[in-house]
Amino acid sequence: MGVNRRRFIMFVAGAVAGTLATPIPFKLADDSSIWTQNWPWIPRLQYGGIAHVPMISKLGAPAPVNVTTAGGRPCAVTGNAKNPLSQGGMGALAPAEVQLRYGPARIKGPLKKAGDSFSPLSWEEAEALLLEKMKAAKGKVAAVCGDETGTAAEVLSGLVAGVGSSAFCLMPGESHVAARAWNRLMQGKGQPGYDLENADCVLAIGADLFESFGTPVRNAKALAASRPAGADSKTTWIYAGPVRTRTAAVCDQYIPVAPGAGAAFALGLAAQLIQMGAAAEAQGFEAFRALVTSAYAPAKIKDATGVAPEAFAALAKTLASAKRPLVVAGSVMGRGGAAADVVAGLCLNLLLGNLGKPGGLRAIPEIAPVVTGGLTRSQMLKADLVDFLMQVDAGKLPAPEVLLVHEANPAYALPEPETLGKALAKVPFKVSFSPFMDETAAMCDLILPNTLSLERFEDLITPYGSSFASYTMAAPVAAPACDAKSTADVVLGLAKTLGVDLGFATFEDVLAARVAALAESGGFMSDTVMPWQAIADGSAPEGGDLAEGLGTGTPWVSVAQAEQGGLTFPVQVLEKALPGTPDAAFPFSLVPLALENVGSAKVATPPSNLTTIRDDELKASSLCLAMCGQTAAKAGVAGGDLVKVASARGEIMALVDIDEAVMPGAVAAPLGLGHTAFDVYSRGKGANVCKVLTVSAEPVTGLPVWDSSKVKIAKS
Amino acid sequence: MGLILSLGVGWFVFPQVLYSEKQQPFNFSHPAHVENAGMSCEDCHFFRDDGSYAGYPTLEKCAECHAAPQTDNPDEAKFVAEYVEKGKEVPWLTYQYQPDNVFFSHIAHNAFDCTDCHPDVAKMDKTPTYYQNRLSGYSKQTMKMWQCERCHAENGVSNACFVCHK
Repeated sequence: MGVNRRRFIMFVAGAVAGTLATPIPFKLADDSSIWTQNWPWIPRLQYGGIAHVPMISKLGAPAPVNVTTAGGRPCAVTGNAKNPLSQGGMGALAPAEVQLRYGPARIKGPLKKAGDSFSPLSWEEAEALLLEKMKAAKGKVAAVCGDETGTAAEVLSGLVAGVGSSAFCLMPGESHVAARAWNRLMQGKGQPGYDLENADCVLAIGADLFESFGTPVRNAKALAASRPAGADSKTTWIYAGPVRTRTAAVCDQYIPVAPGAGAAFALGLAAQLIQMGAAAEAQGFEAFRALVTSAYAPAKIKDATGVAPEAFAALAKTLASAKRPLVVAGSVMGRGGAAADVVAGLCLNLLLGNLGKPGGLRAIPEIAPVVTGGLTRSQMLKADLVDFLMQVDAGKLPAPEVLLVHEANPAYALPEPETLGKALAKVPFKVSFSPFMDETAAMCDLILPNTLSLERFEDLITPYGSSFASYTMAAPVAAPACDAKSTADVVLGLAKTLGVDLGFATFEDVLAARVAALAESGGFMSDTVMPWQAIADGSAPEGGDLAEGLGTGTPWVSVAQAEQGGLTFPVQVLEKALPGTPDAAFPFSLVPLALENVGSAKVATPPSNLTTIRDDELKASSLCLAMCGQTAAKAGVAGGDLVKVASARGEIMALVDIDEAVMPGAVAAPLGLGHTAFDVYSRGKGANVCKVLTVSAEPVTGLPVWDSSKVKIAKS
Repeated sequence: MGLILSLGVGWFVFPQVLYSEKQQPFNFSHPAHVENAGMSCEDCHFFRDDGSYAGYPTLEKCAECHAAPQTDNPDEAKFVAEYVEKGKEVPWLTYQYQPDNVFFSHIAHNAFDCTDCHPDVAKMDKTPTYYQNRLSGYSKQTMKMWQCERCHAENGVSNACFVCHK
């Protein structure tokens, strides 16, 4: 039987028909589709037990959180309901703690400057190089630290002091201004704290309570608790400032106050309260009364503050009729404010008679250092970084031979970056401990990358603004995702080889000593009683297992207060609290807004936060400058115009955004944009508002102020 | 002739060619552990406190008893030498592996017998051969979506996409 054409066709047709009657085509099609979903380069989920491990987020305002781990691997950040500083909430940067472990800006290991770029080196080589430079510096060492609430700052300050230097500076913050106002000018003791939870009327002057002031997560929780669902609000919240900020937007009342007139507004209110019979027993009250009733009578400061006398009267009546009124004064941008603003706010509290009472102003005692030679926080806050760098730039102070930068990005976040950048450039050997390639790290000669909070022992000591002393601690949640080391341990190792005795070999030992010291100092573990409940009850609970409680994210808490003696109304600093005369060359006041979702002085916008930036803050790659229609008309610009914003020290480009939430004469823009380093997601987006911030010397104290810079606007 | 040949290839040769045969890293006898050592299933295969299913026991768990060989069994010796002493997790071949886009909760299916879905390895003294699809890489025993859907339909459970695909 031969094969002819007919038979061949029949064979093929039969084979095709038969194949169609088998699983071959269907199974191959199905398996092929599955095959295309399983490329080897697609990462696979790794399963494991789910746990919620306590940690402390310090990317933005420090707050205790939990990390959700799966099989021991960190995968998400959630709130810590046990801790009164967060109560299950968290800041807008906290969720990025896990994501940034693998972010492109993360520095993978030690780097040494080689020309315009960096070359990797081992930790042994890097630490040996640092040791050599520290020895050669012979005490001409300075340190900048952006972690004022951590014991790591104490360790670093101990090293600096141990090599014979006093140049240890914290990054500027609201606490600097408060310390200047309360401790230095008013002779107050302890750290000012505000009992928002027990107050029934809160007036925030400038202080952006729910965004950047002190403990924003706790503050927001106090707001939420004061407005129980289905029941009447328990607290009246009032915001006074030049911009209707996010804080103002959720308050019961917003009072527009001209930029730079916060102190005058508070003093006008004080004059009104004194007229209604308010008085205080502190020294200098009579001089204060004379000053405010003559120079700050509401009718006299109407134009300077933009507030009508009737509004002063109504507000004074609201405060006077409240059972537990409280005034919180600060800077809208959270740093660089004038001490007079805070002094005026604190004086208002004294007039309201709320010092030390539930719902009032509280003086929080300081926690003693445990590191040999380490500074207390109040000692750290005496130094002013901007003042130091300006003096170095002016040649009034010698530039240090070695500069250590820890958890800070001064090249980006300080005002007048060109001027202060020149001061930084004078330092022959700069060392960054940043875990990210930020602007400061990029200009350093050596980078020793720190681990992230969730990869190291971390602690949190009474953040500024808190109405109670507290201590929270966290152990590492996971091993470092790259070749990084805890800076505190690196510093302890360096101190040992330099022959500086800090008293401890490891940071874990330092924290153990801190816990042991706290156990002897009273206080209690805040697991069942919240500190504001103890304050309201007038009780002072004690007890609890510190080691066990701290391991679960519960803090040690104390509601004790610092004893006062010699509290004073510092009249001299308030005499010149009125805003200066308008400058024809720079007719507008710039109000920088610290928005946590955009970034902080420490980190740029994390990739996950980019979508939270609104179109009226950043449009495409342009910064938006908010101003009201009246201001725009005065400047001769219209909405959508590209303008040049210039101060006496620098200029930036921005798009005009017409927003009637900004007072006439003021323009507002978010901080945190315009990075030139960090990662591809944040670099080149918008402009850095710090470039146009102008430093001026505050009357009487002479210390730098830069939160109310004057600018001019011109269409590009 | 073509019809007969293709039917033969399609139904008898193709299934043989499509799957490769693999063996587990070493033989594991469930009866030896349950009947001889008196262990229960839950000693190794348990739900964690968070409700997730532990699946295979970890090396650490196995090493609680097998830090050193307890018998002359060559498979046990291999386990101790190649995994316990080297601190290396055993790369077990999973007969019922599901991809990451399938969200399967064991605890939600706790009312069923394990053997409704899995081979009845508890009674097997020798680990069964693992047949791996040469194209897709999955085991021959892997449940397909239609099997999940049928069971859901039979038990009145929703077959909406988001029930299994998050």
